[in-house]
Amino acid sequence: MTAVSDSLSRPALPQRRRGHTARPGLESERWHGYLFIAPAFIFLCAVIVLPLIKAFWTSLERTRGLNTMFVGFDNYVRVLESEAFWNSLWVSLSFTALCVAMHMAIGLGLAMLLNRVAHARAVLRVAFLTPWMVAPAIGSTIWLWLLEPQFGVVNYLFSAVGLIDSYKAWLGEPSLAFGSIVAVDVWRGVPFVMLLLLAGLQTIPVEQYEAASIDGASPLQQFRYITLPNLKYFIVVASTLDIINTIRMFDIIAVMTGGGPVGATEVLPALLYNTAFRANHFGEAAAIGVLLLILVLAFSVLYVGLTRTHAQEGSR
Amino acid sequence: MLKSTRRKLLSGIAGGLAWLGATGAIAQTADKPIVLQWQTANLTEKQFEPVWKEMVAAFEAANPGIKIDPVLVARKDHWTKFVTASQARRAPCLVSVDLTTAAYNGYLMPLDKFWDAEPEAWRKAWSDEVMKAARWQGKLYGVPIWGGIYAEIYNEDLVKAAGLDPAKPPVSWADYRTWAKALTKDGQWATAILGGKTDTTTRVLLSWIYSNGGEVFNADMTEATFAKNPKSLEAIKAYLGLARDGFAAPAPTTTNYLEQTVMFAQNKIATMRNANWAIAKAEEDNPALKGKLIVAPAPHQIPNAPTLKTVTSTSIAADCASPEAAWKFIKFEADAKWSIKRAKVANWMPIRSDLANEPEIKSDPMLLTFLKIGENAKPYPLPLPIWADIAAGDIVDAVQKALLAPDTLETVFKDLDAKINRKLKDQ
Repeated sequence: MTAVSDSLSRPALPQRRRGHTARPGLESERWHGYLFIAPAFIFLCAVIVLPLIKAFWTSLERTRGLNTMFVGFDNYVRVLESEAFWNSLWVSLSFTALCVAMHMAIGLGLAMLLNRVAHARAVLRVAFLTPWMVAPAIGSTIWLWLLEPQFGVVNYLFSAVGLIDSYKAWLGEPSLAFGSIVAVDVWRGVPFVMLLLLAGLQTIPVEQYEAASIDGASPLQQFRYITLPNLKYFIVVASTLDIINTIRMFDIIAVMTGGGPVGATEVLPALLYNTAFRANHFGEAAAIGVLLLILVLAFSVLYVGLTRTHAQEGSR
Repeated sequence: MLKSTRRKLLSGIAGGLAWLGATGAIAQTADKPIVLQWQTANLTEKQFEPVWKEMVAAFEAANPGIKIDPVLVARKDHWTKFVTASQARRAPCLVSVDLTTAAYNGYLMPLDKFWDAEPEAWRKAWSDEVMKAARWQGKLYGVPIWGGIYAEIYNEDLVKAAGLDPAKPPVSWADYRTWAKALTKDGQWATAILGGKTDTTTRVLLSWIYSNGGEVFNADMTEATFAKNPKSLEAIKAYLGLARDGFAAPAPTTTNYLEQTVMFAQNKIATMRNANWAIAKAEEDNPALKGKLIVAPAPHQIPNAPTLKTVTSTSIAADCASPEAAWKFIKFEADAKWSIKRAKVANWMPIRSDLANEPEIKSDPMLLTFLKIGENAKPYPLPLPIWADIAAGDIVDAVQKALLAPDTLETVFKDLDAKINRKLKDQ
């Protein structure tokens, strides 16, 4: 009786699981699996998890060169009270918003162009991808000299066609410097978005456009009712990845302005760098790093959420 | 039986390997030279390359047990790389950095025991004033190797073309403005204001402040006086006012040492405030300038106004495993022979006071003029533990703000004083 009631009250184990436990060979295979992923797991821990823990620990310390002192969350308080942090947060967010919007708009335009052009597609694809293939530091250095006020080609060309009447300090005035940095990032970031969206465009069945065309839909209506809905998932993926990439951008700033003039281009990673290596405040710099990580994580969670939602929608 | 034979065989092999390893290791240790990494911002500069390469080769030949491993790093990344390496306890043994900031942070080793063990005659080659720039809180952290004296350098052709007499360069600020007016025309400016994001911006600003008898700190360096000292503020206004009045090349907020010398070499500016090394750079960029440059003391407002002098010292990193070997290199580097070569080939000025009468130095009129101007000079960097941050950060930000909004200049520098004072208290 007891045996019967026990068997009734306990949920039955799945058959496959029973089968596994019954076969010692498969059990050891499972351990083999763990063994195979162990090197990668250890490597990831060494290069990601340990530095993260170290960074967080550093953010709880006050450093003076080689000497450190535990201060709890004092560095976070100092950072959050500083004007420089809020300025950098604002610069970072506005920079990211502007750049991502422009990456998406221009990237979509170019992707549609490449999708339509048949003959010179390979040549155009290489041409459009070139900025992305150039190392960021090299690309930024080239732009630094193109925008140079006295000798730069940009000033020369703009004055030759009458767009400007005096040489502009593109990186020397706050609004111009911010705009210039955005322009350089757009130049560099568009190809990535273009590639993703081009892949998306190529998944849309031609028949949908043909049917719409027969029904008399204008190109704008085709874009509105066929292209955009079909690209929704790709746009979400591209924009979220682009936000994560752009918000932690540092190389262009480091090469071209160092965060200046007067903090106009001091994005959070630049503030982190300046706090660590100019002011030698490693604790505060680590605190900025942790806050930046939280910001990036927030976007990453959003990305995962949105892609999961789409996957669920797709599977229905 | 078989097991025991195998065990004996294995233990024999292991013992043999251990013996081979141990003897090999001993032999390797005995033959292995000491390798000293050497990092200074100037190693990547073309004009210095032949001198340092020759010097390293000569040192290694004279000291077979020591090898020098030069760390070539762009000037911009020099401090970052040094700090990162120091934090990892892997800093190059030999370094030339902002001495007070590095010493304050514990990155450098005090050198008093090495210094004190040297003969007095050798130690006397450096003046007390120069040695002050190598000390922090009474301890010696470096040996001054070379220097730079800031003066006004003129392009003779442009001066003549403007109808000015190159033999009578400006003495006062008023003269300087008269020249500036004459030297500014379409596409050419009298000079360049430095506002770029490095400490050369601060160096030139200080030279203007000193030329008016101003100071940027009180006597015990506990309070900033950029705006508080009327003479300092007047100098800042006069200097930055050159941009507002159109006498300086456009875009000063991005202009730095490199841009300044390039503009000078291309005849876009007629004068620059710089040290002797800028002459080598400008002549390299434009060989037509050779023999066409004039050096004169920076125009000043008070009699006998001091100029600015930079002192580059070589130090030993705190964690250096072979400080004795490093000290040998420092002594070699400081030798008169290399000081003269540096001056003649690379335009790095000799800092030892016993070299001014050397025939090779005396035969160079330009160098001699710089040395004469430098007889009355204040050393840089200033002995403040947070000077690197202040010099390349706060002061540059203030200069940029004042250049972008000249009407706010006084407020900007008052804010700068307050900001620096907060930092000084916070240390």
